[in-house]
Amino acid sequence: MISEFVRDIYRYRALIWALAQKELRVRYKRSILGFLWALLNPALMMLVLTLVFGTIMRFSIDHYAVFLLSMLLPWTFFSQSLAYSVESIVGNGELLKKVKVARLVFPVASVVSNIINFLLSLLPLMLLIVLMRFPLHWTWFYLPVPMLGLFLFTLGASFFFATVNVFYRDVSHIVQILLSAWFYFSPIIYSLDFVPAKYHWIFRLNPLLYVLNGFRLSIYYGLMPSLQSMVLSMACGLASLAGGFAIFRRYQNSFVYYV
Amino acid sequence: MSQHPYPIQFEDVVQRFRVIQERHDTLREAFARFRQRRTTYHEFEAVKHVSFQISKGEVVGIIGRNGSGKSTILKLVAGVYAPTSGRVQVHGSIAPLIELGAGFHHELTGRENILLNGLLLGLSKRQVQEREARIIEFAELGEFIDSPIKQYSSGMYMRLAFSVATEVDPDILIVDEILSVGDGGFREKCLDRIRQFRNSGKTILMVSHDMTTMSTFCNRLLLIHHGQLLEEGDPARVVHRYGELLANPQAAMAY
Repeated sequence: MISEFVRDIYRYRALIWALAQKELRVRYKRSILGFLWALLNPALMMLVLTLVFGTIMRFSIDHYAVFLLSMLLPWTFFSQSLAYSVESIVGNGELLKKVKVARLVFPVASVVSNIINFLLSLLPLMLLIVLMRFPLHWTWFYLPVPMLGLFLFTLGASFFFATVNVFYRDVSHIVQILLSAWFYFSPIIYSLDFVPAKYHWIFRLNPLLYVLNGFRLSIYYGLMPSLQSMVLSMACGLASLAGGFAIFRRYQNSFVYYV
Repeated sequence: MSQHPYPIQFEDVVQRFRVIQERHDTLREAFARFRQRRTTYHEFEAVKHVSFQISKGEVVGIIGRNGSGKSTILKLVAGVYAPTSGRVQVHGSIAPLIELGAGFHHELTGRENILLNGLLLGLSKRQVQEREARIIEFAELGEFIDSPIKQYSSGMYMRLAFSVATEVDPDILIVDEILSVGDGGFREKCLDRIRQFRNSGKTILMVSHDMTTMSTFCNRLLLIHHGQLLEEGDPARVVHRYGELLANPQAAMAY
């Protein structure tokens, strides 16, 4: 099944890319700065966070802005991808009713357009790190590993929510609430060390913990993720993709009757 | 190009839809429905046991009243629907003209839409690029090609959509009620393009309410009424039968 997924992605790569470009163009069209917003938006967000946590609220964590952003940027990618892809089938419903087109291109294109945004947002992060005189660790070179885990995990979740939303439109609202709960449940704005050890097992049930962990290790701590961490992140990614794609594939032929 | 003698074959095709009476679009309603174990939809047969085959190079028109099932048949041919029962076999590539411009995005320019729409219709990126100049020329868009299509007039929009769909150069062309729009000059140009298709031996399936066009253009007509194939054959005869059907108040009542 995963091989079928890879084959379809390759087969429809031009269409997926064109749809992803369309999403990006539409997002930044009609603004004077256009595509620059993809860089400016995270840069300004970082500026605000750095000011708030660097001067107003001081945490015991050294260089809290970098600590936070190392996980906040991948999290933003994840939540934005879901917000876009949950509507990707329903939003293209009129098209599905008229042209026979592989359904998987729509959620995948939503994720791809957000991957572009995410990669661009790493540039202002690098700039900020340099400006703050925080070390730019060599472990950045390991980022492709947690990225792969994150992208696979996000694709799986996108397939799942895009499918369920076709049948129950409530899902697009539920996703918003789920995401905000998930955000606080994941150690993004805090460290797991702040949580009493007896509760750690609950937090360890959260797959996103493993998916996001590698980013903080590489960017903030300058540590190479352990083999165990990499394997866990990849396993969560693959499990999510396999589950999400299986459900999507099972129902994709009936989408046209419900959109 | 496909060499199959019958590019389109329908065998006892039934297309049934669930028509939701009480919308249970939300989880709460679905839950309530589940608890009460009642179904809130009835089934509607849009196409009832229809069989026909279309030979290679034929131009076939489907006529019938609104809601008779014509568009459903076109969508079955285009592969948008899978039949509830029976068999639909299609051999060869298809460019559907079911509602021109499906997949156009208003914020994108004409040129960007050509690429997106071409890819959606199954072309490769290179194939689209090879055809781009011809598409733009046929659509008579001039410098507007690099403006967002939300600024286009409906005529320009139509011309671009028609131009993309026919440049796909499919084995089977599906034409759904598009000849009624556009000004006389462009309509003639579209008909010319469809004639070229016909002369190069491609198969065309069209739907229109314009009986003059249908009877001069098509080799054969199918008359669909309430999802059933009522009559097929010589255009003049089928159009006559359709006229009788329209004139007959009982048939109108039945609808």
